[in-house]
Amino acid sequence: MSTVPGSGIVRGMALTFRRFFEPKATVRYPEVRPEIAPRNRGRLQLLHDENGHLKCETCFQCAQACPIECIDMGGVDTRGRYNVHWGPAETYGERREEAALRRSGRPVPDAAFASFAEVDLGPVSAVLVAHDHDPAHMLGILEETQAAYGYLPVAALRHISFATGAWYAMVYGTASYYRQFRLAPPADGDPALAAADRRPSEASFLSALDAALGMGPRPAPGNARTGDAAGPRA
Amino acid sequence: MTTAHTPAGPHASLDDPGVRIEDILRESIVEAVPVGRTERQAEFYTLRDGEMLLNMGPHHPATHGVLRVVLKIDGERVVDIDPVLGYLHRGVEKLCENADYHQAICYTDPLEYISSLFCEWAPVMAFEKLLDVQVPRRAEYIRVMATELNRIASHVLTMGFFALDLGGITPVLYGFIERDEIMEMLASLTGQKLLFNYMRIGGVNGDLNHDFLSRLGDWMSHAARQIEANAGLMNENEILVRRARGLGVLDGDTCLRMAVTGPNIRASGLPFDVRRSHPYSIFPELDFDIPTRNEGDCLARYLLRVDEVKQSLRIIDQCLHQMPDGPVMAKLPRLVRPRPGRAFAAVEGPRGMYAAYVISDGTDQPFRMRIHDPSFVHLQLVTLLTPGNLVADTMAIMASLDPVMGGVDK
Amino acid sequence: MTMAAVTWQRLRPVGRLLAVLVPILLALGLVSVGAIILAGPLAAGFVGDNVPLVRFVAAVTAVILLSIPTAFIVIFLELKVIARMNLRIGPERVGPYGGAMSVVHGLKVLAKEDFTPLGVDVTVFTMAPIVTFVGAIMTMLVIPFAPGLFGLDLNIGLLYLFAMSGLTVVGLLMAGWSSFNKYSLLGGLRSAAQMVSYEIPLTLSLVGIVLLAGTMSLNQLVLGQSGSFLDWNIWKQPLAFLIFFIAGTAEANRTPFDLTEADSELVGGFATEYSGMRFGFFFFAEYVNVFIVSALLVTFFLGGWTAPIAWPFAVTMPSLDPLGLGVGLLLGIAALPVVGTLILAAPFWLSSKITTLQALVIGFILFNVVAVGLVIGYAFVSFDWVVGLFWFFAKAYAFVFLFIWMRATLPRVRIDQLMGFAWKWLLPAALLNIFVTAAAITIVSK
Repeated sequence: MSTVPGSGIVRGMALTFRRFFEPKATVRYPEVRPEIAPRNRGRLQLLHDENGHLKCETCFQCAQACPIECIDMGGVDTRGRYNVHWGPAETYGERREEAALRRSGRPVPDAAFASFAEVDLGPVSAVLVAHDHDPAHMLGILEETQAAYGYLPVAALRHISFATGAWYAMVYGTASYYRQFRLAPPADGDPALAAADRRPSEASFLSALDAALGMGPRPAPGNARTGDAAGPRA
Repeated sequence: MTTAHTPAGPHASLDDPGVRIEDILRESIVEAVPVGRTERQAEFYTLRDGEMLLNMGPHHPATHGVLRVVLKIDGERVVDIDPVLGYLHRGVEKLCENADYHQAICYTDPLEYISSLFCEWAPVMAFEKLLDVQVPRRAEYIRVMATELNRIASHVLTMGFFALDLGGITPVLYGFIERDEIMEMLASLTGQKLLFNYMRIGGVNGDLNHDFLSRLGDWMSHAARQIEANAGLMNENEILVRRARGLGVLDGDTCLRMAVTGPNIRASGLPFDVRRSHPYSIFPELDFDIPTRNEGDCLARYLLRVDEVKQSLRIIDQCLHQMPDGPVMAKLPRLVRPRPGRAFAAVEGPRGMYAAYVISDGTDQPFRMRIHDPSFVHLQLVTLLTPGNLVADTMAIMASLDPVMGGVDK
Repeated sequence: MTMAAVTWQRLRPVGRLLAVLVPILLALGLVSVGAIILAGPLAAGFVGDNVPLVRFVAAVTAVILLSIPTAFIVIFLELKVIARMNLRIGPERVGPYGGAMSVVHGLKVLAKEDFTPLGVDVTVFTMAPIVTFVGAIMTMLVIPFAPGLFGLDLNIGLLYLFAMSGLTVVGLLMAGWSSFNKYSLLGGLRSAAQMVSYEIPLTLSLVGIVLLAGTMSLNQLVLGQSGSFLDWNIWKQPLAFLIFFIAGTAEANRTPFDLTEADSELVGGFATEYSGMRFGFFFFAEYVNVFIVSALLVTFFLGGWTAPIAWPFAVTMPSLDPLGLGVGLLLGIAALPVVGTLILAAPFWLSSKITTLQALVIGFILFNVVAVGLVIGYAFVSFDWVVGLFWFFAKAYAFVFLFIWMRATLPRVRIDQLMGFAWKWLLPAALLNIFVTAAAITIVSK
């Protein structure tokens, strides 16, 4: 610090005044793009070789090495290279259990992905044939599908959309608009079961009573809930 | 009409047009004085005559992140201060224990987002000690060079923010210009701009490339002059000097008692630097000084960073000249399983000593991992230094101690 | 269904709007015409009897209208100059060279929600911005902008000035007190302490000038400095100039004395809880204040609207009598733009790269530039007040630039340093200045 009072301030003012005329550091972004370094890895993208083929071999190594598992890919095989995609969010569920096991040592069941489970498409195909795959009969198709499954599985809705040519959004919109349609398996389909659900003590009492009386076991409550009519789950 | 305005039940309904939500809410405004859970809190929240509590943060422009500081003030004078932490807690240490050794590195990156490379280096060094890996010399040189660049980037920003908290708006933008150049440079070396994720167990991810070296050469040609000129804007300014001199004086004994490290202890006259005191990497072979100052006040802590930038430039220059050839990664399996044991490694970061303490149980994941962050230590000093000063000085002291909340809350 | 209803239903929305508006406008027009016819003589008589009052109302209106563009210009300068000093570009997308940025800011502030937080003293909270704004802009009433161009020539102009600028403190204190926020309270009290302290050296520094000039009318003060730049008060009262400059910076709440809204300490100070146009009033008042302090510096110390050097040679323009030209005037008005455009477009048209249309457009723009320049040049040479306005604004905006420059460079002082500086340095210096001036006058007059 110098001895003359105010000289520091004056020197600072001189610096800012000089900077007033110097070239500016601003990058006018949309017109001028900053140079991205060749090594930049800020972006997830699949590279092409010089022939225009995807370089990705779908070896899953990147997805396995990814510490926060933000990479997830649904591949077909190494020959069908063009089918490699890292697509919709629901594919995230494919490796979910495995990843959870590996990371925390226990599976993490998630009810949100249960509705994407595959179902037997036989009944819905029959319904579609009966309606001649006509999207104009959507209400009827949906009603009969619900009658067949007990509810409207997502897989069935997708199949209806695919077979009739109606947009999935329309099919889903129709199904979610009308009151009579259910998109989840009925929880209270069986009144007795529902009662057992609500009052577990009563159910245990009943089973204990049955055991005491030597009667056979009552039908297991689990079957109807997961949709007996819906067929085996994948 | 009067009947329509009478509340139907015992409680007024918000659907009632005669009831205004403002009236209801206004009644709910009470002088809420927190109940102290500890003796210290009970003492803090007991207000004497003329005192008032001022809640600064967690969203306050001067708290550098999400720190909440409760000030007990008497007029403009701070009587007592209570920093409240935890708004940025992410459980990084626990996350590291659930990832394997390679994956744990990238969790430590965002601890101190201002200087990420140091946060990687300490755990990586600890892992290397566990695994008994010999890091190639070229990798060590690259590590030192990149981290010293990162130290400069952190220091210019700190200096700018110190001036910003004292009311000068320009230095921080000059600092950001330098920092941006360094970040671009490091991006061309590491591939990322903020969270580099560059260190690997046994080396670094990627060798030097032409892009980086040309940018570095451009920058080195004017860096010293430019940083000196930018610092000259403030560090001779009478207003700043009069405010910062003699403010928040930290003596050597207190430094040792509170485990202060980094520029803060060196500004108090103690030449403690992990690079010299507990040498690691290639620092014994490099020629640089440990600048110290004896005043221990905010001005000394601010000016010391200017000196350190010059030393860092010296180190980078030497690294460039002595850079050996060779590989940048040691041969290591993809999945590493160190023998059971424990390791401690410390590096000298821009704020002080970063350290990692890792316990291995023989699996591919760390059994326990602890990270020592200097910001957490230095934040305790705020309680020590601030009382008796003015409200405006609180920001100056906090800015000169330079805690980064990402490191404090972990 | 009546005829009217059927017609109404057939109308489109625009038609309905017109059907509503046209009768209303017609009725308003008729009423106003009738009012003018009936009350016109009465009003004319009133105006004739109360010229000062009418002049006052007109001056206040003009001042309010003037304050808005002034604030816009100062805000734009602040954005742009600080940006350039920070090695940034600043606003450049809205309007030419970013010029409409502050106007858009103003519109944004108007469009935002005018929020009243819970727990505030609503009346005081609402009044505070108005008091601050009025206190700021009413100061402009006595500033002489050019020869004959001032709101009021008060013979106690200086006293009026300090009374009005004292109002600003009241507004800030009201805002700080009523906001139900500790930051606002601190900011408001800081502003009260700061401005009350700095009023004293600010006022005392001008006593020397008043002693020298023997008048408190700002207009007379400026007239007393006319001549060359050697007659300006800054040479006679350099210490007073310095004191007034520093204290004025503090009065305008500018860096390094912007403690009342120190953003890194008190978030927003007194304005923390304000939003929408109420905040806009504070914002406008702040920037109008910058201009006013600059204008006062110019008025008191730099000769106001007088030119720094007298025009070296007398220019007498031929007096134009437009009506004397008769039909020639009409022809000139009709033909001049066309001819001018064609003449100016010719060189561009001859160069092969430019199409005819482009050349015409360029020629038209050039013609406009030349014509406006000629008109301004003519006005500059032939009217006193144009020259006065030019010099006044040039000097005032030089000081505005200086204030912005200081803001870009300096950090903020601490509250105890601020108060200590006012009482320990500025006040004794101002008293010393008065003493020295009085002694000099006594000695010289003997």
